[in-house]
Amino acid sequence: MDSALIPKGVKRAPLWQFILFLGAPGTVALWGVYAMLLCWFKGLNQTNMNDAYGFALWIWADLAVIAVGGGAFFSGLLRYIFGKDVLKSIINYAVLIGFICYSSALLILAIDIGQPLRGWFIFWHANVHSMLTEVAFCLSAYFCVLTIEYIPLILENRQIDKVPFFHKLGHNMHEIMAVFAATGAFLSFFHQGSLGGVAGVLYGRPFGFREGLFIWPWTFFLYTWSAAACGPCFTILVTKITEKVTRKKLVKDDAIEFLAKVSGWMILAYITAKTIDTWYWATVTAPSKGFALMDFYSNNPFYGIWILIVEVVVCGFVPALILITAKGRKNNKALWTAVILAVVGVCLNRWVMVLQVLAVPVLTFENWVMYIPSWQEIATTILPVAYGIILIAVSYRYLPVFPHEAELNPLEPSTAPEPESAAVELPVEPGQGLIPAEA
Amino acid sequence: MKIGRRSFLSFLIGGAAGTALSPMPLKLTDDSAIWTQMWPWTPVPEDGEISHVNSTCTLCPGHCGITVCKINDRAIKIEGMKGHPVNDGGICLLGVSGLQLLYGPTRVQTPLKRVGARGSGRWEKISWEAAVSEVVKQLGDLRAEGKSHSVGLITGSDRGTVPQLFARFMTAYGSNNVMRTPSMRDSYELTLQRMHGTRALPGFDFENADFILSFGSGIIDGWGSPVRMFKAFSGWRSNHGKVVQIEPRLSRTAAKSDRWIPVKPGTEGVLALGLAHVIIKEALYSSDFIDNYSVGFEDLQRLVLDKYSPDNVAAITAIDQKDIVTLARDFAAASKPLAICGRGRGSVSGSLDEFMAVHALNALVGNINKKGGVRAVSEIDYINWPEVQMDAVAAAGMQHERLDGAGSKNHPDTRSLLNRLPAAISSKEESSLQALLVTGANPLYTMPGSTAVKKAMAGIPFVVSFSSYMDETAQNADLILPNHTYLERFEDVPTPFGLQQPVTSLARPAVEPQFNTQHVGDVVIRIAKALGGSIAGAFPWEGYQTCLKETLGNKWETLMTKGFRLDDNDRAFAGQMTFDTPSGKFEFANKETGRMPQFSPIKIEGDEKLYPLVLVPYDSFRLAGGYIGTPPFAVKTVEDTVLKGKDVFVELNPETARALRLREGQHAILSTPRGQAKVKVHWFDGIRPGVVALPRGLGHTAYDKYLAEKGVNFNELIGPVEDPGTGCDAAWGIMAKLSKA
Amino acid sequence: MKKDKRYGMVIDLDKCTGCGSCMAACMAENNVPFREDESNKLLSITWMRVYKLTNGKPFPETDVCYLPRPCMHCGGQHEGHSPCVSVCPATATDYSLKTGIVSQIYTRCFGCRYCMASCPYHARYFNWWDPVWPDGMEKYLNPKVSPRMRGVVEKCSFCFHRYQLAKEKAYIQGRRELAEDEYQTSCTQACPAGAITFGDLNNHKHSVYKDKKNPNAFRLLERLGTNPKVYYISSRAWVRRAGDNYLRNEAKPAKAVQHG
Ligand SMILES: Nc1nc2c(c(=O)[nH]1)N[C@H]1C(S)=C(S)[C@@H](COP(=O)(O)OP(=O)(O)OC[C@H]3O[C@@H](n4cnc5c(=O)[nH]c(N)nc54)[C@H](O)[C@@H]3O)O[C@H]1N2
Ligand SMILES: Nc1nc2c(c(=O)[nH]1)N[C@H]1C(S)=C(S)[C@@H](COP(=O)(O)OP(=O)(O)OC[C@H]3O[C@@H](n4cnc5c(=O)[nH]c(N)nc54)[C@H](O)[C@@H]3O)O[C@H]1N2
Ligand code: SF4
Ligand code: SF4
Ligand code: SF4
Ligand code: SF4
Ligand code: SF4
Ligand SMILES: [Mo]
Repeated sequence: MDSALIPKGVKRAPLWQFILFLGAPGTVALWGVYAMLLCWFKGLNQTNMNDAYGFALWIWADLAVIAVGGGAFFSGLLRYIFGKDVLKSIINYAVLIGFICYSSALLILAIDIGQPLRGWFIFWHANVHSMLTEVAFCLSAYFCVLTIEYIPLILENRQIDKVPFFHKLGHNMHEIMAVFAATGAFLSFFHQGSLGGVAGVLYGRPFGFREGLFIWPWTFFLYTWSAAACGPCFTILVTKITEKVTRKKLVKDDAIEFLAKVSGWMILAYITAKTIDTWYWATVTAPSKGFALMDFYSNNPFYGIWILIVEVVVCGFVPALILITAKGRKNNKALWTAVILAVVGVCLNRWVMVLQVLAVPVLTFENWVMYIPSWQEIATTILPVAYGIILIAVSYRYLPVFPHEAELNPLEPSTAPEPESAAVELPVEPGQGLIPAEA
Repeated sequence: MKIGRRSFLSFLIGGAAGTALSPMPLKLTDDSAIWTQMWPWTPVPEDGEISHVNSTCTLCPGHCGITVCKINDRAIKIEGMKGHPVNDGGICLLGVSGLQLLYGPTRVQTPLKRVGARGSGRWEKISWEAAVSEVVKQLGDLRAEGKSHSVGLITGSDRGTVPQLFARFMTAYGSNNVMRTPSMRDSYELTLQRMHGTRALPGFDFENADFILSFGSGIIDGWGSPVRMFKAFSGWRSNHGKVVQIEPRLSRTAAKSDRWIPVKPGTEGVLALGLAHVIIKEALYSSDFIDNYSVGFEDLQRLVLDKYSPDNVAAITAIDQKDIVTLARDFAAASKPLAICGRGRGSVSGSLDEFMAVHALNALVGNINKKGGVRAVSEIDYINWPEVQMDAVAAAGMQHERLDGAGSKNHPDTRSLLNRLPAAISSKEESSLQALLVTGANPLYTMPGSTAVKKAMAGIPFVVSFSSYMDETAQNADLILPNHTYLERFEDVPTPFGLQQPVTSLARPAVEPQFNTQHVGDVVIRIAKALGGSIAGAFPWEGYQTCLKETLGNKWETLMTKGFRLDDNDRAFAGQMTFDTPSGKFEFANKETGRMPQFSPIKIEGDEKLYPLVLVPYDSFRLAGGYIGTPPFAVKTVEDTVLKGKDVFVELNPETARALRLREGQHAILSTPRGQAKVKVHWFDGIRPGVVALPRGLGHTAYDKYLAEKGVNFNELIGPVEDPGTGCDAAWGIMAKLSKA
Repeated sequence: MKKDKRYGMVIDLDKCTGCGSCMAACMAENNVPFREDESNKLLSITWMRVYKLTNGKPFPETDVCYLPRPCMHCGGQHEGHSPCVSVCPATATDYSLKTGIVSQIYTRCFGCRYCMASCPYHARYFNWWDPVWPDGMEKYLNPKVSPRMRGVVEKCSFCFHRYQLAKEKAYIQGRRELAEDEYQTSCTQACPAGAITFGDLNNHKHSVYKDKKNPNAFRLLERLGTNPKVYYISSRAWVRRAGDNYLRNEAKPAKAVQHG
């Protein structure tokens, strides 16, 4: 039915199946939207946040999606500025994932504030000293950049591309994409950094506070770095999942491998820097404020020292070491393990830098505070995931997201153009029966 | 025109672009900011002319001067009155929250007549005419049947014109069953009557004292006139006065004092005698006072030297011998030492022996009728109404014995024994009270054994409440004739407990009556007039205000301008050492009148085997414990280790808690011979092992949702224990058991 | 003496009885709302909160101290760099260099709660619910302080409206300077123990100027560099030590650092 919209040379499942597939994320999304409306109309009392946990699940989700969305700016940087053409195979998808992440972040922010109708005050009454102002400006600007980067892809839809104006527009936009990639990289550097600054500047919160360079605490740089390092892992992870779901090879191995390798070295460098930062913080910064390292961890199992070990060793050094070795990158299981660990690691980092910062008692006569999110918070946090799945599914179906898909999955001549036996039904193991592009 | 897909799309896109470029988005955005500031459900208080009214707070017996700040006709804030002899600008959290009582949902807004079962909360709004005639009819009928003595009255106080109008009414009507809320004042009055020969309130010169020995008195937990006590306490912090607190629990007072003596509960009086032993044995007493101004010293000496040596006392009180000796020496060595008693806020009358033992310490060190000492403060006597002319019915009614036995052979000096009323009512087939009037009191909540009180009250055919608030007693009444609150009415307010200088204050309306209420004084007069005859004759006044003005005479002017008036006649007082006792001296004992010192600690209810723990109440300043319900602001200040959700915490020493296997925050069942309740456990190191403490002031079933149904009413778990000397309630605790819920 | 003012408080913990009058006086003055259940202290708005501190020792060595905590009106390392003010993205909270008071502009705050995250004293409170007064109770609301709407943050203002009223009055009388007693906060005035003194920390004629130099004076969490304008006095060493964090083997707490 919608075959006219489907890119040329690729196979897609029948529409009914596609719609059925959208049912699950669609339902989840509706649940999320209901929760979102509750929060907007009834207020933030719908959450389990409180005066100790002014920031909670949402801000963590925000920071986490932006961190993992870092794959977009970093691959853009490599592709357009450093001219790594090998990434051509994955760059569209990286942009799409980034777009999803950033739009989700903005949506969550719109729910998270107590007075959503006043959200624009952040621009109108901007306080230049606030990291959040920097975040808001860069985030919005970068979201625009991502939109601009995403538009040419939409314009490549078979039907839209037929309109000469859109065709030309798309072409011209492609020409200047390097400019946007550079802008994006610049903006990302700052907003990833300023997100790191959010906790780092809290000099009243010794767990989060870091010294730094000029106005920027070390977390500023660590955040940018970790996003650049782990973002690509998320891009790889989502690509791998997409390949699993579609049971097709969609991206050339060299693209994945290249990204994995760069990521590996970035993570290694990042986690080394993070280790030094932690060391300095634990032995110099915190003690100067009267805190021993274990004051931040002891006392309750939830925020135990395990959290630091998991973040730095298990989800830091381990994936880094896997990814920097060719053997590790090429081993499918190891690669999966590494990218998952890296993504978990960066999310864990954002978790502690949001929630543990607030949980650690600072006044000597206060206690640790615990928090369990309400269903409304969980629903609205899952909402972006559902929304992401839907957007990916729709984009994948109608847009040439993977430029090498046709090449990697040549249509068998026998297959009818209106495929009854859709790709999803083919019991093809990923990688099996596919010709590697370079082979 | 045919609307094609293309033109429709163009229209949409064009329209969107046009709207986006128009000033509309900007306007809408701007408006959104304004909307969020003016949500109609967020009130915008009206501004206007600021004015101030000086008045008196009667929410507790502290009687502080207050200044009510107004905007137009709205009262917006209550502050302490600067220069008032009681509180000089200070105010407590109850007083500062007073407007929540005035404007709050607990008000009874119009006379109400019960339509459902008692306590079912179903009322009919009736007119004042109907309400008054209902009372007149019921009382008139009883009187006609010759049952005037079966009418009872419970008041919160018996001082000042309003309680006295009530008392007068009862006399003219023909009943002597006039009772009021008990407190430590009962025991103090009797102590002074025996030792000083004057029936009066004690006046303590805290401001000039330098060593306070408190036998469990909550100096900063609401004892005496609370704000005055705070100020005095603060003074001791500045001028190095010492405070020693004797009680089993680290109360606020104990925590802020210089020394905490965690005595075994109930043995405070023994400790006082132990201290007397040391003072006498080591001759640390004031021989000037003992030799020249006292009698009966030898009898006291014999008692304490015989029985209360430090090692005996140490065994009873669980206080180290050395500490007893040191404490006695320190007390005697101070230049202005004061010993006080009355546990917590003093809402239980207590044991007369204990009061006398403590007061004897003041006499031993000679700090009586001196600067920095204690003296008997006589009442400012301005109520000089003509004698009531009783008719035959009244005279006959007044001949009947009081139901509570106060003033009888056994307790000739006791004026009121409200604690006995439930038993007196319930002991007969037909209730010995046929009608009960309640004003300024909430016996259903405040009386120990409140479950029994409720049962007793259920047997009284006609109960009338004059309360301004829907309290527990009002809730269970047949008729409510709501009084104005203290912020809407005139009333004279007598000297608060503990002050040395007698003072009269004036409560006056800060605002117009908010609801269809009437001054209870007017209502009494109205009822009396309607009953006619000699009852009407006893109330020659047109209304309460005329009565008050006439009664106060030349004081009225001063009270209206200043808000309070110090007693002129009292200026003469300057350390006179004369006493009104038969001997003319301070009497430790008097052989002629047959009064000899003795000591018998009050045995509390409960079998130790079944109930191995001791449950004691504690007064927390953040909760009102009496007739007044704690307002929302105050409830808000209650710590989450006292109240969490609907659960109240009992305090328990970790050692005891561990032995009972009760974790911090765990639910438990607290049972006593009187009842049981579900509570939560709070581990607190500041309490003697084996003792459980529960706050007073919770467990209300009445008032508003901010207070009701939270925690447990301590009075449901305890019953009265009579003091043999006075018949008053002297229960300081009850045996209890804690088990896992 | 044209020096800027730095309004501040000295709270004598030896005198403070923990009675809570200051809390209620603040609520009454500043139209602080209340709800049916206020026992979850993490959701309960109390601009002034009285903490109960214990020395952690077993019976009978146990000791308790009460510590009232308003907003500290932190100055930060360079006056104005308060933890909360510097982070607010919408300039909805501000530091006045004229008075040293940290303001809160309810109509500008959009409820991001960053300021709450930044305040180590938990002095900031969020309006999780619409403020609702029971029928008739709005009558006592103070028109000098606007009730806050749901979704914004609020905190102790040092009763700034009282400063404004006092200034207006002085201005009409042709004066520039306020006497010490002309501007006093509601909690200071109400405290029955006289434990709170309030005034200009820069003005040697005000009692806070002298009181903050008491050898037993300290401030909460001084080591963080928040530079609070609320000083505490306690003669008990354990209380002074509870005012800040120390490593286990660290020497005795240093004396209060004097600023200004
Ligand atoms: N001993 C004692 N102390 C108490 C209480 C108590 O019941 N007993 N109650 C406490 C409580 S809970 C309350 S509600 C408050 C309120 O209690 P208050 O308002 O302080 O009233 P009372 O002290 O009971 O008043 C009794 C006194 O009134 C005086 N009196 C009686 N008739 C007259 C008269 O015609 N003229 C004058 N001028 N004086 C008269 C007597 O001297 C007697 O001592 O007090 C508290 N203190
Ligand atoms: N913070 C603090 N709170 C306390 C106490 C304390 O020490 N500190 N004391 C507690 C104690 S022991 C008690 S018993 C109570 C005492 O509570 P109350 O018994 O109320 O106090 P009194 O001072 O005896 O009351 C004096 C007069 O108040 C009148 N009254 C006041 N308001 C109203 C009203 O609205 N309607 C009517 N009908 N009458 C009213 C009574 O008629 C009485 O004549 O206070 C308790 N509250
Ligand atoms: S101490 Fe008593 S009289 Fe004084 S303000 Fe408080 S409630 Fe009112
Ligand atoms: S009012 Fe004064 S004494 Fe009471 S808690 Fe507050 S500061 Fe302490
Ligand atoms: S106490 Fe908290 S809210 Fe107040 S100024 Fe300091 S950081 Fe800001
Ligand atoms: S919650 Fe309000 S005051 Fe606080 S940082 Fe956000 S906008 Fe500023
Ligand atoms: S200074 Fe004013 S606003 Fe601050 S706590 Fe005191 S009363 Fe409340
Ligand atoms: Mo009372």
